[in-house]
Amino acid sequence: MRNAYIYESLRTPRGKGKPSGALYELKPIDLLAALFIALQKQCNLDTSLVEDALIGCVSPIDDQGYNIAKSALLHANWSDSVSGLQLNRFCASGLESVNLAAMKIRSGWEELVVAGGIESMSRVPIGSDGGSMINDPEIINKINYLPQGVAADLIASIEGFDRQVLDEYALRSQNLALQAQTKGYFNNSIVPILDRNGLIILDKDEYLRPNTTLEKLAALPPVFSKLGQYGFDEMALQKYPYIEKVYHLHTAGNSSGIVDGAALMLIGSEETGKKIGVKARAKIVAAANVSTDPTIMLSGPTPASKKALQQAGMQKSDIDLWECNEAFAAVVLKFQREMDIPLDKLNVNGGAIALGHPLGATGTMLLGTLLDELERRNLTTGLVTLCVGAGMGVATIIERV
Amino acid sequence: MIKYQKDTDNIVTLTLDMGGRTNNVINHEIFEAFVPVINHLQKEKRKGELRGVILTSAKKTFLAGGDLDYLFKASDAKEIFNFSQSIKQFLRDLEHPGVPVVAAINGSALGAGFEMALACHRRIVLDHPKTKLGLPEVNLGIIPGGGGIVRLMWLLGLEKAYPILSDGYQYTPKEALVAGLIDDLAKDHKEMMLKAKEWLMNTKEGRRPWDRPERQIPGGTAKDPQVAKIVRRLAAQLSSRTHNNFPAPQAILDVLTEASKVDFDTACRIESRYYTELLRSKECKNMIKAFWFDTNAIKKGKNRPKGFGKFRPRRIGIIGAGLMGSGIALACLENNMKVVLKDVSKHIAERGRKMVDKQLEEKISKGHLHPVEKEKMLKNITTTEASSDFETCDLVIEAVFENRMVKQKVTKEAEAYLDEYSLFATNTISIPITKLAEASIRPENYVGLHFFHPASDVPLVEIVRGKNTTDETIARAMDFVKAIRKIPIVVKDDWGFYAARVQNTFILEGITLLQEGYPPALIENLGKQAGMPKGPLELADTLGLSLVLKYENQAAEHYGSKYIQHPAVGILTKMIQELGRTGRFKKMGFYDYHEDNTRSLWPELIEHFPVRKGPFDHQEIIDRLLIAQVLESAWCLQEGVIHSIEGANLGSIYGWGFPAFKGGVIQYMQEYASYKNFVKKCQALSKKYGQRFKVPSTVKKLIV
Repeated sequence: MRNAYIYESLRTPRGKGKPSGALYELKPIDLLAALFIALQKQCNLDTSLVEDALIGCVSPIDDQGYNIAKSALLHANWSDSVSGLQLNRFCASGLESVNLAAMKIRSGWEELVVAGGIESMSRVPIGSDGGSMINDPEIINKINYLPQGVAADLIASIEGFDRQVLDEYALRSQNLALQAQTKGYFNNSIVPILDRNGLIILDKDEYLRPNTTLEKLAALPPVFSKLGQYGFDEMALQKYPYIEKVYHLHTAGNSSGIVDGAALMLIGSEETGKKIGVKARAKIVAAANVSTDPTIMLSGPTPASKKALQQAGMQKSDIDLWECNEAFAAVVLKFQREMDIPLDKLNVNGGAIALGHPLGATGTMLLGTLLDELERRNLTTGLVTLCVGAGMGVATIIERV
Repeated sequence: MIKYQKDTDNIVTLTLDMGGRTNNVINHEIFEAFVPVINHLQKEKRKGELRGVILTSAKKTFLAGGDLDYLFKASDAKEIFNFSQSIKQFLRDLEHPGVPVVAAINGSALGAGFEMALACHRRIVLDHPKTKLGLPEVNLGIIPGGGGIVRLMWLLGLEKAYPILSDGYQYTPKEALVAGLIDDLAKDHKEMMLKAKEWLMNTKEGRRPWDRPERQIPGGTAKDPQVAKIVRRLAAQLSSRTHNNFPAPQAILDVLTEASKVDFDTACRIESRYYTELLRSKECKNMIKAFWFDTNAIKKGKNRPKGFGKFRPRRIGIIGAGLMGSGIALACLENNMKVVLKDVSKHIAERGRKMVDKQLEEKISKGHLHPVEKEKMLKNITTTEASSDFETCDLVIEAVFENRMVKQKVTKEAEAYLDEYSLFATNTISIPITKLAEASIRPENYVGLHFFHPASDVPLVEIVRGKNTTDETIARAMDFVKAIRKIPIVVKDDWGFYAARVQNTFILEGITLLQEGYPPALIENLGKQAGMPKGPLELADTLGLSLVLKYENQAAEHYGSKYIQHPAVGILTKMIQELGRTGRFKKMGFYDYHEDNTRSLWPELIEHFPVRKGPFDHQEIIDRLLIAQVLESAWCLQEGVIHSIEGANLGSIYGWGFPAFKGGVIQYMQEYASYKNFVKKCQALSKKYGQRFKVPSTVKKLIV
């Protein structure tokens, strides 16, 4: 079977996902279009050669509605001949778009595709699009659907992670992200966001808290205890009756940040790479998707990663670097424990706890960050995985070429 | 600069009085002057010794707008953005000292001046009909940059704010009250200050609606389905009206839509970004050039013959109560003149008064006129069938139909009752003034005043000098035109004068395209997309093909052996002589005109003028249609048909609708940045399409 290659990878800086965040003043379409324009320039790309653009977006309504993929292509003056698809695999949407793009290429039915994601959480808050799992009492109670944070606390409670372990992980994320930012590890992929006059609005990730300490983290209140008290804790115990209670340990400090951001990748066949004159950076060797119990919800990364390794015919020892989305500290720690991988190969430049998690875009961003880091360290293989709402999980393995 | 007075009720009156100026303006100087004042107010508030603030002016006007000399030159994005943000910060500080602020508006407040009034909690205006209020920036290709768009939306809602901002209309106090721009009127200065104080004594809330979490934008944000629907409709309306040629009204709609979805300060920052973009656009620079610099040059009397006292016409006679006559009458009435309207019978003359009445009613329905004003104006018209009623008129204008005999007859009849000091003017378009003047008793007082339809709205009058017209008559005619607040341009008594002559080249170029095998619909649509009000073929039909041909024949006569026949002449002759399709008057021209008042392109047109295979270079078509006019205007300057660049620019925009976003026919050339580029462009066209694209030598002096 033929291969799918990553030719380019770009992202916006991540802005705080609230009115004081730098990207709040931008329409989501502006954010995404800025990347399309940058991608075209970077690769000197004849956009009419691109057949489709798959864009992950978790709350595709209001300013993100009406197919933001196609909307942004047009806004960026890409050829009318490029199709656009908006897709929603919750938090893994941006990775799913890469995986689907790879499938399109490997099937031989398409030659050149853009994959990516966007989420302006300041403009379109999580949950804005409604839906039965969060708004329909019949469904909520039938499937015991918890708020993500309560599910993360459930994981911590089951796994026996205490507050300090979670906070220590969070501090590690802050430190590694700050180091990466300071040393310019992210610069290769970041497209500075300019206003309509060319004035800089944001050129680096702004969610980081460089002065974080364990003491400060310990002082933060748990965010999800109130929700638990409403009854969600009891709903968790209905599904997991063997634990005594749900301990509320996740705070704003050891959970992922709410941010705005977008990311894109150019993915194509080997022949197309020659045609457009761009060198391939990596090969996509596995693309896995699983689904598990919806109540605990965030357990997908391990089975997804195992499935991906199996697809690729690899052992976990074949993987040089790992990325597991830091939706919540407990999710990453559980993943590390289950996969039994050394911490110094996992999330080596920090993650969403320090940098933020722009839902639809995160998957593409993590894969891009991983690719940059493999290149920087001159390593070969990497695996990215994310936990996903309702128990799903997605994983991708790449290999530098 | 700012007088600070505090009364025993802890109400502070701030009186603006900028030194060395006749008007207060918004600039860096005023920001700085306000810093200590605002600090002091905040201190007083903390001490509990401030109840409210009244902001007023010691000048005749409240506050004039921004500094256009600065805005015209500004080009650095960072600098403009910071400037816009600093106006906003200033107004933001002004609007929250923690107590309510009343603007006691004693005179005109336009643009940035009105933005300052919007930053006050309440606006009370001294009711004077000459006072003008509003946000007319759009007419100069700009938008309010001090948060005016955002504040107006918060006060009135998106749907009501949009037309106020995008029409750029200047409101009288009464009109402003109806439109919701202000809160109250006062009959004199004393009442204004009294009302301001009374309101402050009864109001405690120091926060504006946008600073109160429980408040919402009236009508909702652009996220609300109802408003979203309106925005979509407005976008389509705007596009159809401007063909996306005018960035300012587009920016207004964009800012309103975006601003409604975010907090106030973010909304303001978005406004600043658009403001910066517009101010750097060539459309904006072109429009400031035309509507500020060119207009002011003409208003200041550039080209008015010197040494003659100012003519103050009070009573105007008008012969002919048709569309043109009643339009001229309305223009005079709106400027406080009395009108004697004459036609062959009193009954027909009355029709003219009814037309005036109807137009005034329309203005009332748009909120642009108070019914009381209408009654006052209608009382100022006398209708008559007797020339003797002209006896006390300062000026008589005949606007009867284009027939030399008739025109000469009514001239003589009227002149019999006029004194030696009064002017007589003819509104003709195609008969030489010098010939008409032959029948005049006083040819030295005889002048052409060429109004454009609709005469009450088009702000341009061509003043045509006949052979015997004196300088004094020209000076007085210019004074009259200025008194009815129109732009006078003096033109030579040649065929078509200036406007019709140049407009004709647009028509002829369009007809030439037809001959070259371009689809007629394409020619018409691109004519409009180029920014012209009508397509060239429709315009030809409107004027009548014979008149179009007549102008060209007059050109041929004028240039004699040097004349090179225009390729459109053949088609015109064929249309008129072979096909008998002479235009709209006959209900058949390039178009068919149907019973239900609609029209459609004549289906057989493509049989007579077969369409060749595309693709067609749209930009080149647009360039040809515009450059044909640009070059003809340059010839007019070279031949002394018109005397000034300013007149040529404004004449083109107002006279026949040359695109305002280009700044007029002469300003258009500046887009090419150099004489060389423009000549190169014209040479290419000349090579492909003919000698008419040759560049007159004067162009070298016109491109700066």
